[in-house]
Amino acid sequence: MSLAGSMEKQEKINSCEDRVVLVLPNKPEYVSLARLAASGIAGRMGFDVETVEDIKLAVAEACTNAIKHGCCEENSEYRIEFGVGAKCLTISIADRGCGMDKKDLCQPDLQNPREGGLGLFIINTLMDGVEFKTAPNTGFTITMKKYLGV
Amino acid sequence: MSGAEYCYQNDGGRCVVKVKGEIDIYTAAEFKKQINAAIEEVTGDLHIDCSELQYMDSTGLGVLIGALKRMKEQGRNIYLENLRPNVRKLFAITGLDKIFILEV
Repeated sequence: MSLAGSMEKQEKINSCEDRVVLVLPNKPEYVSLARLAASGIAGRMGFDVETVEDIKLAVAEACTNAIKHGCCEENSEYRIEFGVGAKCLTISIADRGCGMDKKDLCQPDLQNPREGGLGLFIINTLMDGVEFKTAPNTGFTITMKKYLGV
Repeated sequence: MSGAEYCYQNDGGRCVVKVKGEIDIYTAAEFKKQINAAIEEVTGDLHIDCSELQYMDSTGLGVLIGALKRMKEQGRNIYLENLRPNVRKLFAITGLDKIFILEV
């Protein structure tokens, strides 16, 4: 089953929201496109400049995670879905990987800082809600939310 | 825009690397190459002028952490100068503003 096909079976974002979907190749040069989309959507919803930057960063971190750990096969893809509600932006990023290490959510150890593994901690810090889901046949999905006016 | 540009200047004996643009998973490898080259070329501390660094994420932080480890082993330091608010925030939320020297 194709990535797009399997993703269709995943839980849909609330139907009263507008959906914007991007399917990107697992190539680093396309992450800027995801940032651009995140920035455009968040800006249009009315988030302030600082929050738009936070959302851009969180999306880029999730894309980086998908490319590094979620797209093991050459020429694979990952999928970004923006759910645009009146008061909430929901972003799901799904890849075919096997998930994450929960220790990556912890505060970085400043006595012995690591060169990697900061991405999920950053997402968790910047967004209002973050969920992780791993399914055997579909892969790993991170869903993050940002509320307007919070 | 995605990409970064670099220029070097010897500012009264200080080695300053000026970074322009965006550091992400696509550009981090070149950033690492440029920073490592600067570490090799000079003997003193390294100053990185970030006034035109518009965006950086954890991939850039990783490069800087690796560079700082190398520098500290040699008794040298890295100074990050003129960070924009979005980049400064990245250091603040990760706590890395406590191990890097951030200058206005």
